[in-house]
Amino acid sequence: MFFRSRAGFLTLALVPLCAAAAGCAPKHAANGVPRIGMVTDVGGLGDRSFNDSAYAGLLRAETELHAEGTVLQSRSAADYAINMTVLANKEYDEIFAIGFLMAKDVADVAARYTKRNFAIIDAVVDLPNVTSVTFKEEEGSYLAGALAALTTKTKTIAFLGGIDIPLLRKFEAGFAAGARQIDPSVKVLVKYTGSFDDPAAGKELSGVLYDQGADIVYVAAGKAGLGAIDQAKRRSDVFIIGVDSNQDGMAPGKILTSMIKRVDTGVFRVCQEAVAHRKRSAHLVLGLKEGGVGLTDFHYTRSVVTPAKIAVLAKLRTAIVSGTIVVPSTREGLASYTRLPL
Amino acid sequence: MNPVLAGILAVLGLTLVKATPLIYAALGGVLSERSGVVNIGLEGIMIAGAFTAVVVSGLSGSPLVGALAGVLAGAGVAALLAFAATRLGVDQIVAGTGLNIAALAAAAFGLVLIYHQPGASREVPAFGHAGENMLILLAFLAAAALHVVLTRTPWGLHVRACGEDPSAAEAAGIDALRTRFTAVVIGGAIAALGGVYLSLAELDLYSDGMTAGRGFIALAAVIFGRWTPFGATGAALFFGFFAALQYSLQRAGVPSELMQALPYLAALVALAGFAGRVRAPAADGVPYVRQ
Repeated sequence: MFFRSRAGFLTLALVPLCAAAAGCAPKHAANGVPRIGMVTDVGGLGDRSFNDSAYAGLLRAETELHAEGTVLQSRSAADYAINMTVLANKEYDEIFAIGFLMAKDVADVAARYTKRNFAIIDAVVDLPNVTSVTFKEEEGSYLAGALAALTTKTKTIAFLGGIDIPLLRKFEAGFAAGARQIDPSVKVLVKYTGSFDDPAAGKELSGVLYDQGADIVYVAAGKAGLGAIDQAKRRSDVFIIGVDSNQDGMAPGKILTSMIKRVDTGVFRVCQEAVAHRKRSAHLVLGLKEGGVGLTDFHYTRSVVTPAKIAVLAKLRTAIVSGTIVVPSTREGLASYTRLPL
Repeated sequence: MNPVLAGILAVLGLTLVKATPLIYAALGGVLSERSGVVNIGLEGIMIAGAFTAVVVSGLSGSPLVGALAGVLAGAGVAALLAFAATRLGVDQIVAGTGLNIAALAAAAFGLVLIYHQPGASREVPAFGHAGENMLILLAFLAAAALHVVLTRTPWGLHVRACGEDPSAAEAAGIDALRTRFTAVVIGGAIAALGGVYLSLAELDLYSDGMTAGRGFIALAAVIFGRWTPFGATGAALFFGFFAALQYSLQRAGVPSELMQALPYLAALVALAGFAGRVRAPAADGVPYVRQ
């Protein structure tokens, strides 16, 4: 069953208890059931996006691999190392750190617990007992940008990110490059909320972007995205592009598509390796080709996303998978990106 | 419309939106602190208000009923602080901090219990634009009302007396402990409206950590506003203005990190500039124990 610790103080209280009481450590992988632990970042479960996608991967491992899963949520950055240490002490077979924010803590804890296996999503930690899982978000974002440029009526689209860091700039650069590929005259506005857990800020900033003329906003900002979706629901003739999980159903018809990042697939694949005791990958990179990123099936927006547009997207997708198009993942790369004649 | 004018109007409109939850929380803080109880639990009170309002609105189908429940919840949480501060005589900072942690954790637990999903609630019936505007207007009316109560009514005088010198107030026949208790509870009810505004007027859901430190910004507004209702309101508008400004100017050639720090830099400069002239109520934060 899932034990969800909400706050660091809870787990803090657990550590000395377990250290003091003999026999406190639970049964070692009882009857061969793989035990998989997961530590979420401060964004936490319920974002219907990044963390929830990771959680879905764990749930899949529970059903298909008969694993036993546990999620510890982190209230602050100070909880990361504590939560991971708790799981390491409890002899979990695989410990997931969900999010680049935990890279340093994974490195520290994995170096101390060399007999435990760790995995980190969205960052690369170069240790023998750590599997790094990263995604080519820029590739999926490129398709999202292309679709937005094909769909905008105001010739203005926008990207709303969480924190202005290299990881989020991959989304930004890919989105802008995809738009440029379709129509260089389409203006791409860019703003950042500054956090991943403030939905009000997401609502206010998406409002600013719509007011500045954008009619499609691509939001990659964790729970701040919930506010942006609410903003779009209250306006007519505007769209949101969701992120990480398939968010299309959260506001049917208002969410043009979602750039799905299969964090669940990444988590599940690492779990498979853990269960099969295969040689573990050091670094899994999941892009369009690997099915790690992509757009949804436009279930609610078929009237806008015409077969002609879908055909263009399919062409771009093929070009990316074959390597004809190399999608920029940084602002510098975006600056020198020129559209290809296709 | 002239684009510059439109831009200015957009910033001013957003200033009101950003300032409203701060105004409510800061007014609650002013009332509490003028009676002598430092209320560091404003964040927790906002959380209680935001969460309860969403749950009750979802159950009753009425955002108004939800809002009332949110206000009651805020008053309830404040009553815990008031009890600890007046009857138990505990350190008010510690009690307030405890409330913040407890409220956040209780709401997180409540989400799992009620919605069977961690992290965020489902969407519930919320106030529309008209309701949001009413709550914005009400914030300013509340500031005016609190000003009148504090400066023109006997009870307001009692509150201020308890904040300056509870022993002298008791000597004059005022029940200092009861006055403080009432002030903190009413302050909690007002501050909870800040949370209600966030969850039911701006948004239509509760998500963990959605108050995002606004209770602490409101505390700064209390100090910056020199413990007066109008001062705190002005301070909240000041913070709201810089937040709105950074939204509009972001990426206009200035690094976004710098722009995002703007409201806090402005607060720092303002507090440092005013530091020499502010004076807290003399007995603010000092537990009163009857001899």
